[in-house]
Amino acid sequence: MTPTQSTPASTAVTRWFRRIPLSLIVVVALLLLLTVTGTVLSDRFATSRNFLNVFQQAASLGVVSLGQTLVVLTGGIDLSVGAMISLTSNLTSGLIDGNPDRVLPVVIGVVALGAAIGCMNGLLTHYLRIHPLIVTLGMASILQGVTLLYSLAPLGKVPQEFQVLAYGRFLGVSIGGLAMIGLFVLAAIFLHFTRTGNAIYAVGGDPRGAHLMGISVARTLAIAYGLSGALAAITGIYLVSRMGTGDPWRGEGFELASITPVVVGGTILAGGRGGVLGTLLGVYLISLLNNLLNFLDVSTFYQWIIQGLIIITAVAINVERGRRA
Amino acid sequence: MSSPAEETERPMPRMSVGNLLRDYGLLAFLLLNVIVISILSPAFLKPENLLNILTQAAPLGMVVLGQAFCLLVRGLDLSVASVMATSAVLATSFAATDNAMMPVIFAAAIALGIAVGTVNGFLVAKRGVSPFLATLATTIVLQGIRFLYTEGSSGSTLPEGFAVIGQGRFLGLPVNLLILVALTLVLGYVLHFSRFGRQVYLVGGNPRGAMLVGIRSNAVIISCYVICAVVAAIAGLCLVGYVGQVDQWTGKGYELDSIVAAVMGGIAINGGRGNVFGALLGVFILVVMFNAVILLGLPVQVQMILKGIIVIAASALYITDGNRRVA
Repeated sequence: MTPTQSTPASTAVTRWFRRIPLSLIVVVALLLLLTVTGTVLSDRFATSRNFLNVFQQAASLGVVSLGQTLVVLTGGIDLSVGAMISLTSNLTSGLIDGNPDRVLPVVIGVVALGAAIGCMNGLLTHYLRIHPLIVTLGMASILQGVTLLYSLAPLGKVPQEFQVLAYGRFLGVSIGGLAMIGLFVLAAIFLHFTRTGNAIYAVGGDPRGAHLMGISVARTLAIAYGLSGALAAITGIYLVSRMGTGDPWRGEGFELASITPVVVGGTILAGGRGGVLGTLLGVYLISLLNNLLNFLDVSTFYQWIIQGLIIITAVAINVERGRRA
Repeated sequence: MSSPAEETERPMPRMSVGNLLRDYGLLAFLLLNVIVISILSPAFLKPENLLNILTQAAPLGMVVLGQAFCLLVRGLDLSVASVMATSAVLATSFAATDNAMMPVIFAAAIALGIAVGTVNGFLVAKRGVSPFLATLATTIVLQGIRFLYTEGSSGSTLPEGFAVIGQGRFLGLPVNLLILVALTLVLGYVLHFSRFGRQVYLVGGNPRGAMLVGIRSNAVIISCYVICAVVAAIAGLCLVGYVGQVDQWTGKGYELDSIVAAVMGGIAINGGRGNVFGALLGVFILVVMFNAVILLGLPVQVQMILKGIIVIAASALYITDGNRRVA
């Protein structure tokens, strides 16, 4: 092959290719590697049936990680999503309590509640000038306390039709999984084509600069945290649909689990760099990995170790990049 | 976790009037709590209850001492709870009943602490990984190793000596409280009166300045993580003695509670400010309030709500100009 760099088309392609962050390339490579390994090691892995299952199972982690991504892009972190899921899941099933007429108002109310609490996180961080880690940690404690005051045990149930969200299939593909993809697409459009979306990157990259440019940091943070709260509430509702009932501890562990796909996808914790595509790929990477390890009968204990190592590796790669840039 | 904009230079803190005021403010708040609670519930001031509070506060107090070192160098350690549980499980692995094995068990725990702390510190200082993620990753890895090692259920054989550490009294005072006092004296001396301690404040308060005066910041940061993990490993053993049994999740929740208590006690989460005595006051305020919730017959869940409100309110109160997030 002769070098084709002189032709305009190929320079455009090279330039386009160079603009893809290394972290995305790494995640895609890992996904491919994982799929190939899985296909070789297990004959049940590379079946459309299994992939459709993973697609369905990834929905809850995906939605909550999407919210986490928005917050991390502002340079913050939201540790209250776990407690938020616990609260919203038990509240949803407790309030609906098997009555189909209540489904719509309760769902709307719960999502609004999540958004409101999230907004509060953002505003507290901004106006009281407290580190987001402390604000959302405190909020998590408050929410979990309230959840357990409401009920110590799973409460209520939801109508059969409500489970369509989790188990329904459209042309064989999970509706919950499709809804998750839809939310990611909306988030990508929001981040790249709206002023507020751009403001999220600006605030994360350089809060003072963003302020000087006339961006309202308070408003931007309120929106980012509010969306994270609302998405956590949606995750809570989705999990009710999957389990048929709520649980005051349903969200335990999600606060940390939701961060893994974000950092694996190349969004850096300092804020301002990364995006939702990376998170989406990160979610599938983690879900496929756990799926494969389950097929291989690898104990949960090894799965933890591998997850820890993935976090370290992913972050170390991004740090290297940050230094070179 | 701190954004570049926060790396402003800040004067190095001393035992200044402002700091003393803050500490006495905390002390006053603790006393106010004690007075109000004892009026509401006379049972509070009974010696038995007070000693109970102190016994409960001891393991958390130890963890907070270590956590303070990490916070002071602009870090934090989420792995303390995992270190506590792992050190507890490690202690049972000797299946020893003889008290003569106690020093060996403690040595093993300390070795574990040094190993974990070094990994944490290395990732944070040398690799530039955010402390949150680095210690989150070691938490998960340790958890996996611990469960693999025990295959899910840990042993339970421990020398009698652990009961003495956890529940025993020496001259009328709980033994684990005495251990806390000893650790406080040692670490307080290291932090406030030694060369290393001043370096800790400088690295946390003014990293650039620390670099310019030739402090080996990386070594200081790694040492802080090692101190934190070692203290957590010891606290794990004390907690096992107090609870009387070992499980895989010994110390669960201490990672967050220790940060809450330290922040309440005036340790700035973005480094360079606070002292060990304030941090300990934070622990006592937390434990006294928990105790009050029980004595007043309120639901236990109120503890969690109180904790959340207090940590947010306390950090809002402590913010001074040097700490402001921009815009």
